[in-house]
Amino acid sequence: MIKLEFSAKTNTSNEWKAIISAISTLVEEATFEATVEGVSFRGMDPSHVALIDISWPNSAFEKYSCDSDIKFGVRIDEFSKIIKRAEKSESVEINISEDSMLRVSIGKNKKYKMRLIESSVSDTPLPKITYDSKIALSSTGLDKILGDIEVVSDYLSIKTTSKNVEFSGKGDSGEAIINLEKDTEELEEISVTQESTGTYSLEYLNPIVKAMGGAAGSIICEFSSAKPLRIEFKVTNIGRIHFYLAPRVES
Amino acid sequence: MDFSIVAEIFEKMENTTKRIELTNILVELLKKTPKKIIPNAVYLLQGIIRPNFEGVELGIAEKLAIRAISKSAGLPIKKIEDDYRECGDLGLTASNMLKIKTQTTFTAEKITVERVYETLFKIAKLEGKGSQDLKMKYISSLLNDATPLEAKFVLKILLGTLRLGIAENTVMDALAIAFTGKKENREQIENAYNVSSDLGKVSLIVATDGIDEIKKFKISLFSPIRPMLADRVQSEKDVIKKMPEQFAAEYKLDGERVQIHKQSDKIILFSRRLENITQYYPDIVENIGKSLNVNEGIFEAEIVPINENTGDFLPFQELMHRRRKYKLDEAVSQYPITVNFFDVLYFDNKDCLNLEYSERRKILEKLVNEDNFSKLVPMLLVKNENEVGDFLENSINAGCEGLMLKTPSAPYRAGTRGSNWLKLKREYRNELGDSFDLIVIGAYFGRGRRTGLYGTLLLATYNPEKDNFPSICKVGTGFTDESLDQLYQILSNNVTLKKNSRIVSEMEADVWFEPKLVLEIVGSEITLSPIHKTGLDLIRKSSGFALRFPKFTGKIRYEKAVEDASTVEEVLALYKRQSKINQEI
Repeated sequence: MIKLEFSAKTNTSNEWKAIISAISTLVEEATFEATVEGVSFRGMDPSHVALIDISWPNSAFEKYSCDSDIKFGVRIDEFSKIIKRAEKSESVEINISEDSMLRVSIGKNKKYKMRLIESSVSDTPLPKITYDSKIALSSTGLDKILGDIEVVSDYLSIKTTSKNVEFSGKGDSGEAIINLEKDTEELEEISVTQESTGTYSLEYLNPIVKAMGGAAGSIICEFSSAKPLRIEFKVTNIGRIHFYLAPRVES
Repeated sequence: MDFSIVAEIFEKMENTTKRIELTNILVELLKKTPKKIIPNAVYLLQGIIRPNFEGVELGIAEKLAIRAISKSAGLPIKKIEDDYRECGDLGLTASNMLKIKTQTTFTAEKITVERVYETLFKIAKLEGKGSQDLKMKYISSLLNDATPLEAKFVLKILLGTLRLGIAENTVMDALAIAFTGKKENREQIENAYNVSSDLGKVSLIVATDGIDEIKKFKISLFSPIRPMLADRVQSEKDVIKKMPEQFAAEYKLDGERVQIHKQSDKIILFSRRLENITQYYPDIVENIGKSLNVNEGIFEAEIVPINENTGDFLPFQELMHRRRKYKLDEAVSQYPITVNFFDVLYFDNKDCLNLEYSERRKILEKLVNEDNFSKLVPMLLVKNENEVGDFLENSINAGCEGLMLKTPSAPYRAGTRGSNWLKLKREYRNELGDSFDLIVIGAYFGRGRRTGLYGTLLLATYNPEKDNFPSICKVGTGFTDESLDQLYQILSNNVTLKKNSRIVSEMEADVWFEPKLVLEIVGSEITLSPIHKTGLDLIRKSSGFALRFPKFTGKIRYEKAVEDASTVEEVLALYKRQSKINQEI
């Protein structure tokens, strides 16, 4: 009998799929950390422009046990292929035992073993920022807005007042402006302590919003002028998925 | 060590062309560098990451670099392309773009020499699907943390356009001064370099263990030995003038000179320029073991293409058909070869370099079993002009280029050219004795059908004393549409923003090149010229030599390094001979 060091089960495969697609927009290899409290991931893309912070508490799992703190590294493409074999409604259980292989059991009868890779140890601190503006909208709504802007621009500017938020972009061919007013269907929430303007690269925004579009219901964007943007993706049964993006500043 | 220190020193080097100054700057750099990473620094300043013979190449495409700059600076690709078009140097563009960078990052670590080196090494090793994107990300991650000046040199190294104008000789001078306090010790360092072809390895030993360890430096298998080279002579008469008691004359085969390293079943082949060419000769790897009575050995041989039916030698150019990645099998069977041994440098723990030629030849004859594939180069001891003439005749009849004449008592002097080895090529009457191998240093854009190509090339000889390239002529004839195209493809990768410090010319070329490419040129006469710099002041004050009516023969001498090109001395000898003939007539 193999002694299990760590084991975690979810009732559906959606959670893992969301997490993997989010991480895959940033890095090729990911190191997860499992403790008694739950599973977490934090990583930056090689350019240090974007950061993902995931915290997945033990209470969100169907079954969870972790004997001692453990870090495990995976190649995201390899892990993704396996998880994609699961139907939406199939459960996913992952185990790590002493032989440093990741065991993935899908549904009733599919069992995979996957090699683990050396985990990286770098600590990634979270940016410490006070956010002056906060807006909430549906993830599909944001996805569409980014699509609208992308036609003419490779960056997105967000400008808030207490009553509205304006998304815009400018390029060689022209410019685009999308305005959302407070108390309309498109804008679920807006709260502004100080009017803010921030500019962010679509090269980083687009992939993550696309990747999370299906899994996340609504999202919360927080930012301050010329400071990083934080997007929270609300995914059922996952505690927290935060995406941070460093701003572009006019020189 | 902060990369900024290196970048600042590189910047200083770019702004000087004086060798003494370069040496001093280099000494300053070497002294500042932690010993552990001295090899890394030595590789980087030559624009490489491993010794050339290991074939670890960065080969980053400009497009990829432009994407990385765009990503790191947060500026559109078009803006970067525009800047590049204007300044002509992507390194400079990277620096310009970072100065107006808009994308911020979460952390900005200082970049170190170690990090730059490791990242470049990773990039060079990446291959296969998705590797382009990953390379781009690695480059971008360096650029994110780089200052504009650092970015400039990171890019130049990546693109292979770092031109600090530092010759290996300068590096060795600097190593001697920095770590032994005496420039004279350069000779020991050079010996070690000559038998290893790895300046990084040599520099580490000098820096950590000092000159005494360098003196004990040994040959190691699979690290190529820099070849011994021959002086050129023009006639049998000249041979006699330089002859000791007798010469060992060998056929001079028109093939590819190869250094064969063998350890049991492992065979590695190095070209004369010390590139690993094993992949092009699977037939040698397969067959050569049977012919060699040694477990370990380093041999020199000439690979010659042959007509399989008649056994006749074919021209060297045929071998170029094997320089391809795909369908090599076909080329191997279509262009059969023989391997013709002429020297042994090492075998079974015995270093042969200090043995006399006659000793080495005896050993070679014992170690090589001749068969249809492996041969010994024919050799004869000659004592007088007649014997030289007869053997030359035989050699030409056998389809060879001429003779090599070697002093029987001379040791193998790795990496040096001298009169212990002479080469005598067939002589043409009423023409200049021979073709020249000249280095392309600059070009003028063509007109008419040659628009967009280089219509005229500026050529140079090699001056080994000063280690530089003085101009000798412009050439615009002998080209076909294909060769013009081909030359453009090759040369446009060698363009430099400013004239390389080793080029000696006051001409105003449209573009200057990194001296890399050697062409075979014939001409009608050598004249004195106030314009060209080959042999300046040798015959007449303020005049050099020019080659009259130069014509490209169609042969690109890929196998020749620029240091193997025709030398000032050879031109001088030809000039003297030519004026003598004129007097006789």
